[in-house]
Amino acid sequence: MIFDIFLLQQVINGLSIGFVYALMAIGFTLIFGVLNVVNFAHGEVYTIGAFIGLMVITALAPPLVAVVPLVLAAGALSGVGLERLAFRPFRRFTDEASQKSRAMREATLLSSLAVSIIAREIMMHLFGGDMQGVPSDYLLQRPVAIGPIMVATGSLVIFATSAVMLGALQFLLYRTQTGLGIRAVSNNQLGARYVGIDTDRTIVTTFAVGSMLGATAGILVGLYDGAISPHMGFAPGVKAFVAMVMGGLSSIPGAVACALLLGVSESIATEFLSSGWKDLITYSLLVITLVFFPQGIFGHGRERA
Amino acid sequence: MDVNVPDARILPSSTALPASATAWRGRQIFWTVVLLAVVFGAVPAAITATGSSYLAQIAITAMIFVILSASLNHITGTAGLLSIGHAAFYGIGAYAAALLSTKLGLPFIVTLPAAGLIAAFVGFLVAMPTMRLVSIYFAVATLGIGEMIYVILLNWVDLTRGPMGIRGIPPIELFGWQANTLLSRYMAVAVIAVVCVWVLHRLTHSYYGNALRALREDDQCADSMGIDVVRLKVEAFVVSTFFAGVAGALLSHTSAYIAPDNFRFMESILILAMVVVGGMGSLPGAVVGALFMIVLPEALRDIGDYRMIAVGATMFLSILLLPKGMLAEGASLAFVRRAFARGWTTMSGGTPVGWK
Amino acid sequence: MTDANTILSIDGLTRRFGGLLAVSDVTATIKQGELVGLIGPNGAGKTTLFNLITGFTPPSSGTVRFAGRDVTGLKPWQIARMGMGRTFQNLRVFPNMTVFDNVSVGAVGSFGQSPWRALFNGGAQSRAVSARSWEALERVGLADVAGEIAANLSYGKRKYLEIARALATAPRLLILDEPAAGLNDTETAELADFIRRLHAEGVTVLLVEHDMGLVMNSCSRVIVLASGRKIADGTPEQVQRDPAVLEAYLGVEDDAA
Ligand SMILES: Nc1ncnc2c1ncn2[C@@H]1O[C@H](COP(=O)(O)OP(=O)(O)O)[C@@H](O)[C@H]1O
Ligand SMILES: [Mg+2]
Repeated sequence: MIFDIFLLQQVINGLSIGFVYALMAIGFTLIFGVLNVVNFAHGEVYTIGAFIGLMVITALAPPLVAVVPLVLAAGALSGVGLERLAFRPFRRFTDEASQKSRAMREATLLSSLAVSIIAREIMMHLFGGDMQGVPSDYLLQRPVAIGPIMVATGSLVIFATSAVMLGALQFLLYRTQTGLGIRAVSNNQLGARYVGIDTDRTIVTTFAVGSMLGATAGILVGLYDGAISPHMGFAPGVKAFVAMVMGGLSSIPGAVACALLLGVSESIATEFLSSGWKDLITYSLLVITLVFFPQGIFGHGRERA
Repeated sequence: MDVNVPDARILPSSTALPASATAWRGRQIFWTVVLLAVVFGAVPAAITATGSSYLAQIAITAMIFVILSASLNHITGTAGLLSIGHAAFYGIGAYAAALLSTKLGLPFIVTLPAAGLIAAFVGFLVAMPTMRLVSIYFAVATLGIGEMIYVILLNWVDLTRGPMGIRGIPPIELFGWQANTLLSRYMAVAVIAVVCVWVLHRLTHSYYGNALRALREDDQCADSMGIDVVRLKVEAFVVSTFFAGVAGALLSHTSAYIAPDNFRFMESILILAMVVVGGMGSLPGAVVGALFMIVLPEALRDIGDYRMIAVGATMFLSILLLPKGMLAEGASLAFVRRAFARGWTTMSGGTPVGWK
Repeated sequence: MTDANTILSIDGLTRRFGGLLAVSDVTATIKQGELVGLIGPNGAGKTTLFNLITGFTPPSSGTVRFAGRDVTGLKPWQIARMGMGRTFQNLRVFPNMTVFDNVSVGAVGSFGQSPWRALFNGGAQSRAVSARSWEALERVGLADVAGEIAANLSYGKRKYLEIARALATAPRLLILDEPAAGLNDTETAELADFIRRLHAEGVTVLLVEHDMGLVMNSCSRVIVLASGRKIADGTPEQVQRDPAVLEAYLGVEDDAA
């Protein structure tokens, strides 16, 4: 019985990690959907979210609920800037050879990587390479008893925020004109342009939305862990990327499900393995998934001839 | 005796294609001599003249990365399988060489090929299940496998000493001759790098290379031309990981110390950046890209802490301004055909075509 | 059936996609030296039959024999190497390779490739590949653009490039999937001439077409497919008079491609 409760606790911890991955994975998926390109700078958006949140907290000491909108705004802004800088310039190559050229595709991928290096280095300069502590008033580590189990306030805040954001995203995608645009461009960019959708604007919006989710994930984890550093975005970025691919690249529910799966299995794995080995679980899951589901679990088959 | 016989509709293959003209032969010798003179003449001369160990160190690093970049170009640029875990195979080679020489006392002449073969064997094991993956799925699989290998290097403390790394790896030594000075170390590494690049050059600039490029362009279509797609992809991956392993052995034996952090994800990305900045699919580009990305940060040392920003910015600008790389594939292939007399000339005087 | 001259024979070939019978119990043979047309309205199952023959799609049932061997279930490259050359309905040249290199891939495929040969003794084979590729380019009249990047060719020229690439495999049977799609009337007529000339030079051709005209004017024998079934097989005159064919094409005679 003791064991079961313990396991349950780990599952809950894992779910909160999983939701963080999920928030990031959705950003990846949305952006991959409209552009067919991986955004390597997504992890930096997460870091920016955390630092902006921290700056706001130390400068203004506002109530926690007021931090979130500011982080959202910062996320949206960095998403728009990222798109302008790293992605838009490459859309000028529209001839057939360029479109089919792998060199071109990989160039776009690396442009976001280059921007992410620049962003990370600038943050190193501004904030230093070390961990920054979070003022203890804002730490989300207080345990709350729910029946027999103890849950950190951070987990609860992550659950609540994720629920709100997923709901809002669902509303945006399926109930608004903007969402219709995003879905249309994801489906078929050329077709969407023919029916009069402003694809450039849709792409920018997608970056803004995806980055808002990523930045929020960053500040939540920062407050939960109590430490913020310029390198913090790397690991969750890779995990979220993995979740997106396992989910089949273009499926948001798939990405969320796989992100939760990764979070929970990591959290349970720490019970059996020393923490150094826990990442092995994530990557083994990834490789096994790809061997058995070459298009991800929720992906589509490849068309022939 | 030229290829293009305008009115003969069907050329019997025995008479069709001439040996290259002497002019081409001359040009081949010219370019070969220039390249060898730079690698074995100018660079060592500069190292000797300045007596700078710093310069020698950069030259050695640059040569190692030339091998890494050229080998990644083989699988990612030529065969079109985007690998973002190349550093892991570099790491396997480095650890293989380090352990074989420190634990078993094996000489360099054994550890060098062994490092390549072990990395290639792991590459083979990785390739078998992942080769049917397409596009980004393959890339992510290599990412996952690369990170798995990193986690193993970091945590299998009994074998790898974990984050402490391995120290005291003996320097390059051949039948009693030891590369004790930095200059001799550079020379040894340069010889091996030249051999590696030469092998990749023969593979890339041939009809075999054309088959690899066909996989990249459209593997289903190549399949229906009689190309054994899976076998070719596995071969390309194995060749590429073999050379990554060789590069790892060189790192071990020239730096005496290795640690898992030398082989992380960012290192894979750095190698990929070399290939992209140089020009995907272009072997000369991969070489130039490696030199550029190694020399640039060093050239920018004066701006101190800002140099990584400058590296990122340079990478960004070069991708933005030259998205096909400094030496784009098409131009590079044409250059190699002409400068190294690898192609067939046509009577109409147009660009050389095909491969010898 | 087992005539020594038979190059391709398919027997009871069937392919289901879920509940849909895309190809249903098709039996046919092609003899060496023939120029056979395979026609049928859009959605008749021509491309599917094509993919069954070339090994791209496994059949639900039935067999394919090619050059005296049962090739059912073999990989496309194995069948291709036995001498089956093909083109694609929607052009699939290798866009970033030169015209010559495109064609050479067909020749490399049929000669076989190995890294050892590229390293140590490629001379003789490279010579053979080069000669074969050059010959194929001259046959389709693209020798003067051999050094161009394929993506820069016009649509019509890329069609011929695809044919040259298939010819470079030295095919014992050449299968063309809707080669006239996207061409105007003049270009189609030129293509018909070209195909007849290839046939006269001894190439066995299976011409899969949607457009009746091209096939009726060039082929000595025509197989008609409708809703996945073979409904006619005979000379153009016989087929044109066949009531089943008329019915299948009724009202779809002049639809746009
Ligand atoms: N991969 C597939 N999955 C499901 N249905 C298919 C597939 N390929 C073809 N079909 C169906 O099979 C039928 C025959 O198609 P196809 O062979 O392309 O015809 P054609 O080439 O004669 O126009 C069509 O109804 C088509 O929708
Ligand atoms: Mg069709």
